[in-house]
Amino acid sequence: MLKTMRDYIKSLFLLELFKGMKLTGYYLFTKEFTVQYPEERAPMSPRFRGLHAQRRYENGEERCIACKLCEAVCPAQAITIEAEPREDGSRRTTRYDIDLFKCIFCGYCQESCPVDAIVETRVYEYTRDPSNRVIDKEELLKIGDKYEAQISADIAAQAKHR
Amino acid sequence: MANEVCLRFLGKETPWKLKNYQSYGGYEVLKKILSEKTPPAQIIEEMKTSNLRGRGGAGFPTGVKWGFINRDAPGKKYLVCNSDEGEPGTFKDRDILRYNPHQLVEGMIIAAYVIGANLGYNYIRGEFWNEYRRFQDAIDEAREAGLLGENILGSGFDFELHCHLGAGAYVCGEETALLESIEGKKGQPRFKPPFPAMVGLYGEPTIINNTESLASVPVILEKGGEWFKNLGVENSGGTKLFSISGNINNPGVFEVPMGIKFSELLEMAGGMKDGRPCKAVIPGGSSAPVIPGARMLDLTMDYDCIQKAGSMLGSGAVIVMDDRQCMVKVLERMSYFYYEESCGQCTPCREGTGWLYRVVSRIENGEGRMEDLDLLDDITPKISGRTICALGDAAAGPVQGMLRHFRDEFEYHITHKKCMV
Amino acid sequence: MSEQLVTIEIDGREVKAKAGAMLIDVADEAGIHIPRFCYHKKLSVSANCRMCLVEVEKVPRPLPACATPVNDGMKVKTQSPLAVTAQQGTMEFLLINHPLDCPICDQGGECELQDVAVGYGSDVCRYVEGKRVVADKNIGPLVATDLTRCIQCTRCVRFGAEIAGVRELGATGRGEHMQIGTYIEKSVDSELSGNIIDVCPVGSLTSKPFRFRARAWELVQRDAVAPHDSMGSNVHLHLRNGEIMRVVPKENEAVNECWLSDRDRYSYQGIYSEDRLTKPLVKKDGEWQEVDWKEALEAAANGLKAAAGGDGDQLAALVSPNSTQEEIWLAKKLLQGMGSDNIDYRLRQGDFRPGQPDRPWLGMAIAELEELDAVLIIGANPRQDQPLLGHRLRKAAMKGATITYINPLQLVLNYRSSQWVTTPAGMLEELAAVGKGLNLRRGIIAQTKAEDRHKALAASLKEAGKAAVLLGPMALAHPDASMIWGLADAVAESSGATLGLLPEAANSTGAGMICEAENNGKVRELLENPRKGYLLCNLEPSLDLHDPALAGKAFDKAEFVVALSAFRGDSLDAAADVQLPLATFGETSGTFVNAAGDWQSFAGAAKPLGEARPGWKILRVLGNVLEISGFDQDDCGQVLAEIEESLAGRKPENKVKVDVNEERWMPAEGMARIGDVPIYAADPLVRRASALQETVHHVEAAVRINAETAKGLGLEEGGQALVSQGDGQATLPVVIDETVPANCARVQSALAGTEKLGAAFGAVTLTKA
Repeated sequence: MLKTMRDYIKSLFLLELFKGMKLTGYYLFTKEFTVQYPEERAPMSPRFRGLHAQRRYENGEERCIACKLCEAVCPAQAITIEAEPREDGSRRTTRYDIDLFKCIFCGYCQESCPVDAIVETRVYEYTRDPSNRVIDKEELLKIGDKYEAQISADIAAQAKHR
Repeated sequence: MANEVCLRFLGKETPWKLKNYQSYGGYEVLKKILSEKTPPAQIIEEMKTSNLRGRGGAGFPTGVKWGFINRDAPGKKYLVCNSDEGEPGTFKDRDILRYNPHQLVEGMIIAAYVIGANLGYNYIRGEFWNEYRRFQDAIDEAREAGLLGENILGSGFDFELHCHLGAGAYVCGEETALLESIEGKKGQPRFKPPFPAMVGLYGEPTIINNTESLASVPVILEKGGEWFKNLGVENSGGTKLFSISGNINNPGVFEVPMGIKFSELLEMAGGMKDGRPCKAVIPGGSSAPVIPGARMLDLTMDYDCIQKAGSMLGSGAVIVMDDRQCMVKVLERMSYFYYEESCGQCTPCREGTGWLYRVVSRIENGEGRMEDLDLLDDITPKISGRTICALGDAAAGPVQGMLRHFRDEFEYHITHKKCMV
Repeated sequence: MSEQLVTIEIDGREVKAKAGAMLIDVADEAGIHIPRFCYHKKLSVSANCRMCLVEVEKVPRPLPACATPVNDGMKVKTQSPLAVTAQQGTMEFLLINHPLDCPICDQGGECELQDVAVGYGSDVCRYVEGKRVVADKNIGPLVATDLTRCIQCTRCVRFGAEIAGVRELGATGRGEHMQIGTYIEKSVDSELSGNIIDVCPVGSLTSKPFRFRARAWELVQRDAVAPHDSMGSNVHLHLRNGEIMRVVPKENEAVNECWLSDRDRYSYQGIYSEDRLTKPLVKKDGEWQEVDWKEALEAAANGLKAAAGGDGDQLAALVSPNSTQEEIWLAKKLLQGMGSDNIDYRLRQGDFRPGQPDRPWLGMAIAELEELDAVLIIGANPRQDQPLLGHRLRKAAMKGATITYINPLQLVLNYRSSQWVTTPAGMLEELAAVGKGLNLRRGIIAQTKAEDRHKALAASLKEAGKAAVLLGPMALAHPDASMIWGLADAVAESSGATLGLLPEAANSTGAGMICEAENNGKVRELLENPRKGYLLCNLEPSLDLHDPALAGKAFDKAEFVVALSAFRGDSLDAAADVQLPLATFGETSGTFVNAAGDWQSFAGAAKPLGEARPGWKILRVLGNVLEISGFDQDDCGQVLAEIEESLAGRKPENKVKVDVNEERWMPAEGMARIGDVPIYAADPLVRRASALQETVHHVEAAVRINAETAKGLGLEEGGQALVSQGDGQATLPVVIDETVPANCARVQSALAGTEKLGAAFGAVTLTKA
């Protein structure tokens, strides 16, 4: 009986409607927080695992020593490496391919790398079509060169947690 | 009481000349033995009675050692004298080679006669060039007089003696490394067993004795094992050459009876320099652990007493240090020696000696950390007792001794980055 | 010494062992693992790494298990606190100066130090001082050094001194400064040098051709049998993506123990050489054209059929003794199907007179070689021809065997032996004189005079517990090989020694069992009377035949030559009309019969390159195309079963029926050629192994004569000499070589530049060019 009365009053004075309008009104005047991608970007963790890159030392020498640990650890078997002694006798890759269609961006390659050569950058805006699924050493090094400042800053930021 | 055995002719006219040595009564014992054909077993008995313990450092009874070789077994046997006196602080054998080489030759001929060896070598430390020359002269003289070579003194016994100059490796003082070196190989100790008495020089049975031990033989046989034994104390028979060095007024070699009080010995050496207090003493060459001076003054110089005090008599090289000496510096110097002299064969010694030296050196240079002392405590037992020869033990011993008695000095060094003294 | 058994206790387990056996061996046998670095079962005990320290009850110090003999009632603890702290201590010491470069180390993943470090190492390094760095040394094209990684176990040094018999490596310096090296800058040249890679427990010595090319975990391991010498060494092939990356020994105590010769280890490089034949080729109007298999096989079949023209005797097959049993069998069957028995494998034999053994072999098991007390070896250089057989002979010599060589060359040996060096013709006299020393009177033996050394050798052969008379490749290549067989047989028989042959190639013994010498063809006759059609299997005419000049002419005259070959080469291009690409070692399945008559089968492991196919498959299909019956095998095993059934338990035997009074074809007067085969020129595969060709054992064609002979001819070192043999000529550089006897010219076979010359052993003339 009491419940029926209450419901009747609620519906008579459109109380539910005003409750809803109150929320709408609240958001009408508060600061909006929609990120206007691509004009605006959400913050990213230094551990973000995006497109791969190969790094160089400051003197321009490529870091990768062809130890093949990343190839061994890769759960998707996306990495293919071939190596032989370079002319100066050092151990270098002659081929370093990552199949981006196989890659699951787990970051194990970066974890396993003893020289911080293969890294995953913050880059995630790229496209590949199925005829161009493999990213090779030259391209990886180019990406590395381009984003080196960011990459080294990210690695430095994480260093104390490792 | 002093200078009765190895240095018995000290002070007489050029005793290193055969003529003089003979005129003082030398080679008489040999002549007697060879003419009477004394049974070797009897000589070994006499040696056992004398309780002469190997003077090279290990203190193994000489008579017992000689008994290991079966004189009548077919095949070659060798006698080797170890004059590769390389232990820092030791310079006693040098004086025997210098002043009494014929007594050593005589002792070696007798020893060879006992074990049935026809060929002997005296391995002399590479740096002892003058002593090598003098000993070589003695051999030549003896050979000319028919005391060496074939049919010695018409007895039918043949013995040839050669002198071998080392090339400066401390580890060649280890008996099996010494054998390798004589064979022309790299001086590295051999794994034992088999012991040299079974498989020695060129794979044949070999007896290796210290210079002092062999030089004592003629006197023991002349005056009797009982006489020699009574010179010393229980379990340490006879006299011993002590080479005393360090902060004292009169460093040198002293032949004194075993069991003499250290304070007496110190007195003979002229007492402490500038009258400073005795801070520490290394009683048996650098590989023996250090003993604090105050404690040392109550000790007597014999095998048992020193061992009870946590060190060893070793070769009788007594290094005396006064309160001006920094123990860290001393240890750094000694560790460097073992680091340089490790032969490199076994892992703990090859790698460990370098590690010890570098840590001690860091402490000395004011870059030490408190954990380093625990590290040293942890590494040393992993070196000693884990190697083929005793060099590992020798390298670990001084570190352990220093840390036991002078840890505070090391801690001071670490915290204040400078010497306590 | 009686082999007394004692009972000891290891980790609470009771173990029975031979008294005096080393603790580590006993533990290994019982399956109890004790870590070790310096200990190696084939090398002397040095007890220097201190990794195998264990606790023995009643002994206060831990003892090294490798140098502690077992005693009855001994109680050993390998896991007690004393033992484990000792082992951990050693591990820490080993690691303080070992670089942390596992990621670039080829040993990474198969490293004994890594493995033991996982068990006994600490995860924290307490050593903060600078690490030792050692400069690497160049010790040749086969072994790479990274001496900073060395843990001074001295296994390589002991290997050199005890197994290879040459002290090429040594340890110099004391303490921490101790280094492995050659003392003077020099390469390690032993024919067994590759084994130091296997004995090295760390990545200090690694394979140079394999350097950085693969990681241990990428490799797939397959078994195979080495294809070069008659040892039949067992090997593991390590493959990556179907490509052979390296070859390592497979342990077989009866054959190669745990060793491998460099030739067997590094020849795999030849498989991937640039002149590998990967597509069938047919010569059309004098030009080589790549065709498909169907066309090539049809061309081959039609060509052979046309050449035979109904007369089977116009066809002949020459098969390399490095071919598998299956290949030789099918080739023989193919020829028989076309009405011909003309098949032979004795490509480098110089004399085919009857009476020589039909199916020659070593005459004993390989391991028996080392038990011999007296050995007479004629015309052989085992260190070069069969390096590991040579090692067995060395072992015999080290045990005190008297070994005597009769050779036309002074050999460089690594054990004590007597070498009687004489001219090729003189070899017969020497051997006959030994017969005379045994009081024989037959044939030419009667005309010789036995000197003291001959009598002494005769006596030692007679008195020895086990003695052998062994012939080698140079004896077979001799123009009077049958006489040598006859004399050797006479000596062996009257002295009670075993007669044997040190066969040259991987399947010489097996080939002999299939190609019966009496019923089948003889290479020399098949070339002297040229046939119209030839089938060549796995050989290069100018390099693999006794008389390349003769062969060249025969193939020129032939109407049609089909070659099964893995490689292209000038002489094959000139001789053949069809070339069928053959799968090589590692790519084909098959069976080799080694010197001791052991049948060893293996499966194909690597992907045949390009369109190359296993020889047995090619021949099988060729049989189908020729419509010969009996070519319907589906796998290699069926072919093998067929061979076994056909041979019906026939065993190799050295039965000689030679009258030792035959005509002698090697002239006693005048200049004689010695045409032995260099170690790394023996077959098409090894000739293309690039690293082996960079070693000091690589030779270029030259005339090697001693100084005196050179003086007589007016020749000098570095000059050129014109070598004439029959109507063939070659201009070659002169090398003064005192190992060559007077009046002899060592012009080695199987080398580019000697194609135009005649028989490997025979009369030559030298003039200044």
